[in-house]
Amino acid sequence: MTGTASLSREAIARLTANTEPWLSCDGCFDQVDAAIESLLDSNVSLAEEFRGHLLGCAACHEEAQSLAALLAEQFDLSAAEAVARLDAAVAE
Amino acid sequence: MDSLMVEYRHPNGRHDDAVLPDSAWVDRLSAGGRERAVAVGHLHELMVRAARHQVGRMPEAVGLGVARRDEIVHSAADAATVSVLSRLSTFEGRSRFTTWAYKFAILHAGVEVRRAAWRDREVPLREVPEQRDAAMSSPEAYAEVRELARAVRDGIGEALTPHQRRVAIALLVDEVPIDVLAERLGTSRGALYKTLHDARQRLRAFLSERGFMSATVQKEVNS
Repeated sequence: MTGTASLSREAIARLTANTEPWLSCDGCFDQVDAAIESLLDSNVSLAEEFRGHLLGCAACHEEAQSLAALLAEQFDLSAAEAVARLDAAVAE
Repeated sequence: MDSLMVEYRHPNGRHDDAVLPDSAWVDRLSAGGRERAVAVGHLHELMVRAARHQVGRMPEAVGLGVARRDEIVHSAADAATVSVLSRLSTFEGRSRFTTWAYKFAILHAGVEVRRAAWRDREVPLREVPEQRDAAMSSPEAYAEVRELARAVRDGIGEALTPHQRRVAIALLVDEVPIDVLAERLGTSRGALYKTLHDARQRLRAFLSERGFMSATVQKEVNS
């Protein structure tokens, strides 16, 4: 069935995302290099504040995905595998 | 340049085209004369590579054309090289030096592409979200989302400040890139994200008081 809603499901999810605990964009930038290396190296969980920030900030998330894709080969992963690993960790 | 091309193997056995150990990067970029100039040239090559990678991943860059994309790659690489050199003393070795440096090129390239793609577009600043069509899998799902959507709209109107409303709707409903909105409003990505964070907290509290923030509702929205 197709209906009309005032906000899309995706917009509602973005508006109500739980981005606690707080981490600023600068804080995310400080952490992203070490966090992505650790994730690709040993698939460890992301720090909760870093995960929350990527959930709530599309630009920082896009740049983290890009870094993961760029580093993928160093960790014997394809770019798609590296990005999928990051996205799965963010969605946990 | 040849003097810098010392084969480097990562302790874990990984290898890539980053040929210098981290300490050598920092030492040579901190040195003087020709040694530094060569190292800066090598760093710039890495920044071009990372900026090109970032631009190549962004769908919104396609419409900019080859020449503009190339211009952005080199402009971002230049800016990233300057950023890395000015922050060299802050490198703590928590990641490989090249990984640390790449993030500057990715950031600069991402910001430039987003701004270039929106250069001639108007940025809507609404205090009320527009009506949207949404395809729902069933009448029940439609009813649940419609009810939640109505509550979210009420929350936007009642719990947020006018500034929070405009920022949240522009970034999260109209999907204006945060760097574009920051440029138009004369502020920063970080300041807008803080506004967004506070707006989300208020909205979640508003919805929670009305019984909308249960795990079940969240799962339905995110599925």
